[in-house]
Amino acid sequence: MTTASETMDEVSKPAANQEPPYHRSPPLGEGWEAGGIKLTPEQQRARRARSIAIALALGAFVLVIFAVTIVRLGSHVLDGPDYMRPVQTNN
Amino acid sequence: MSLTVARAEPSIAGVGDYIELMKPRVMSLVVFTALVGLMVAPGHVHPVIGFAALLCITVGAGAAGALNMWYDADIDGRMARTAGRPIPRGRVTPGEAAGFGFTLAVFSVVSLGLLVNLAAAALLAFTIFFYVAVYTVWLKRSTPQNIVIGGAAGALPPMIGWAAATGSLAIEPILLFLIIFFWTPPHFWALSLYRAEDYARAGIPMLPVVAGEGQTRRQILLYTLILTPLGVTPWLLGYAGPVYGIAAAVLGAIMVVLALRVHNERGGHRASKQLFGFSILYLFLLFAMLLVDRMSGGLFGQFAA
Repeated sequence: MTTASETMDEVSKPAANQEPPYHRSPPLGEGWEAGGIKLTPEQQRARRARSIAIALALGAFVLVIFAVTIVRLGSHVLDGPDYMRPVQTNN
Repeated sequence: MSLTVARAEPSIAGVGDYIELMKPRVMSLVVFTALVGLMVAPGHVHPVIGFAALLCITVGAGAAGALNMWYDADIDGRMARTAGRPIPRGRVTPGEAAGFGFTLAVFSVVSLGLLVNLAAAALLAFTIFFYVAVYTVWLKRSTPQNIVIGGAAGALPPMIGWAAATGSLAIEPILLFLIIFFWTPPHFWALSLYRAEDYARAGIPMLPVVAGEGQTRRQILLYTLILTPLGVTPWLLGYAGPVYGIAAAVLGAIMVVLALRVHNERGGHRASKQLFGFSILYLFLLFAMLLVDRMSGGLFGQFAA
């Protein structure tokens, strides 16, 4: 009798004569078992540096948007949205 | 029938290569002149809005530089001055440069429009279009007047800065535009005099290649003689104080002396190199003086009076 975890392991493991699961990207540096792209150390370093730079640029962009939004709203930032303000009546 | 799918090699381009694509040295002059346009404009600009405007202009200038390198990759590889750029060196593929440039161009223009104002965004979009489509694609390879007309793209940043601050334009930013516009020919033709062989090899019809050195030297002097009084005009029209006026006159006089040396030079390019180097300092000091004059709030004028 097999346990549930053993069954899962068997399902997730490709058989020796099967092709790798192309719907999933391999971890960096491991490459494909058959016919795929294997990154050289230089390519890995370059990709990592580019990824960090893009992350930093996006982070900076978010900060700029946030700062400009606060500046543009000014003191109205404390007012809240229109639907939350009390309705004024003529009486 | 078989279908062959070309698989691109994973990129080896580093962050430095992408920064190089943006032409950081050109970008620094663009940012500085845009900053001056922003600061000398009337009214108050919130520092955060001003920073956002300058950031967008910087990225827009970088996008134009990347698109220029993408389109000119073939001729860049044939010229000693540009052979070390990321695409000819094989660090960045033309497709990567194009994607990078177009993305940044759209990002910078849309951001400037949303964060600052539409007038500045429209001017930035026009500047990128003019530099890439009009100068790089059309004029550069077809006429010796390429840098004269194309110089308009480099002259627009102070107007973008002014528009970012005010949402409109006036005579003063147009004056700043004209100063850079008439500064561009002596600056680039001085360079092209001692790089003429490079340009000829690449098939670019720069003035020394097409019309000869004598004609180029005459044109350099002519444009310098137009530039020098233009540099003093902000003072004459009352936009700047007398200290700026005196500085502009002295710097202009040095430009004229150097242009005369270029005009009279026979054999060798010492004077051309001197003029090229000083022309960068001239534009930087002229705009720096304008900035200092405005930041001092007329203090120079009161002091001189």
